[in-house]
Amino acid sequence: MQDNILIEMKGVQKWYGGYQALRDVDLTVRRGEKIVLCGPSGSGKSTLIRCINRLEPIQQGSIVMNGHRLDDSVKAIDVVRQDVGMVFQSFNLFPHMTVLQNCMLAPIRARRIGKTEAEAIARKYLERVRIGDQAEKYPAQLSGGQQQRVAIARALCMQPKVMLFDEPTSALDPEMVKEVLDTMIGLANDGMTMICVTHEMGFARQVADRVIFMAEGQIIEEGAPEAFFRNPQHARTRQFLGEILAHH
Amino acid sequence: MTPHFGLAEFGFLLRGLQWTVLLTLVAFAGGCTAGLAVALLRTCGHKGVEWITRIYIGIFQGTPLLLQLFVVYYGLALTGLKLDAFVAVAIGFTVNASAFLGEIWRGAIQAVPRGQTEAAMALGLHYSSRMRDIVLPQAIRISLPATIGYLVQLIKGTSLAAIVGFIELARAGQIVSNQTFQPLLVFGVVGAMYFILCWPLSWWGSRMEARLALASQR
Repeated sequence: MQDNILIEMKGVQKWYGGYQALRDVDLTVRRGEKIVLCGPSGSGKSTLIRCINRLEPIQQGSIVMNGHRLDDSVKAIDVVRQDVGMVFQSFNLFPHMTVLQNCMLAPIRARRIGKTEAEAIARKYLERVRIGDQAEKYPAQLSGGQQQRVAIARALCMQPKVMLFDEPTSALDPEMVKEVLDTMIGLANDGMTMICVTHEMGFARQVADRVIFMAEGQIIEEGAPEAFFRNPQHARTRQFLGEILAHH
Repeated sequence: MTPHFGLAEFGFLLRGLQWTVLLTLVAFAGGCTAGLAVALLRTCGHKGVEWITRIYIGIFQGTPLLLQLFVVYYGLALTGLKLDAFVAVAIGFTVNASAFLGEIWRGAIQAVPRGQTEAAMALGLHYSSRMRDIVLPQAIRISLPATIGYLVQLIKGTSLAAIVGFIELARAGQIVSNQTFQPLLVFGVVGAMYFILCWPLSWWGSRMEARLALASQR
């Protein structure tokens, strides 16, 4: 049973100066589990996933990833970052590199694999996000949806054990949201462990094993999507869902 | 009898021009190398190191270049280190350029969006790869207009080297002018030589700037 746990966060506290961004967060993620994190802006959901790959340091508590405790050592940070893929709201593709180079860089530099193999891996994942024919183009020549799919492929090329998504569709024009969500659904169906910060409640219903609601740096409520949406326990959750569903 | 401005005098100016170009190249190459180190230290994230480089930049930007050349040429001589005029001014200009280029590139490095570094970190890339593969290629592009602008300033600034007896283009012009009593003609030629060096660079720099502005609009 213990082997089944991929990520374990215990008593995590995070401050930005005097502002507390995470309050006593406990979160256990099983292998293959799909989790959707939602909550109002400033609730700490992005901060939470950014702590998992140590883009943000924590001040208290512990994070264990795949049996490795994440501390401040370079080695621990290396290990966790190689196992954790991340997709950002603003894509963050490297603009001076082609799509293919974007995907090949990290495997070559961080995993130290050969160019030929790196290219084979890159082309495989670019095919998988259905963008193989754009491999020689630069990011600026692609649409937002295409760029985000490249960003997903780039993360997959490191063959991570878990994928973190930080509002991956929030910066997209409406007509491009679907192609990115479809890619994520495909990934979920293949058994990838995923933690997604998103307001796409349709996506949550379709793929999430668990939906977690955060407010003011705390996990307020969590549950399977059916129960979570039909019968939220907390007033804060009901208010949030009311606002977001009225909007969509 | 007073010599007229002829081929021999023109040849003398050309040799001065050669020294101007050579001094510029040495100072720019040295300034780029040391300036890169300054820029990297200035952005390394270590408070103490960042302060030291900030003071370094402050000193060389806050005192006259002329004074710095004096210190290197005469000051070091007092400590027993007698340097050839060219070596002395080359060192002076290199150190000065490292402070200015370091500050230009510090700004350019910080102008690369934070998300680029975050994406690189999330992919498991180390500092050296993040800088070499991601940040610096973009920072250099951003800094190109300002860097070219500084190069133009440097070419013209090398005339200060005359003060310690180094004969570069401006000093050569002064010598020829004193011999021929044709200051307008001589300095006209000297000015034209500077212009031919500097103007294409300035033009290239502003073209880069326009292209960059266009690229950032996309």
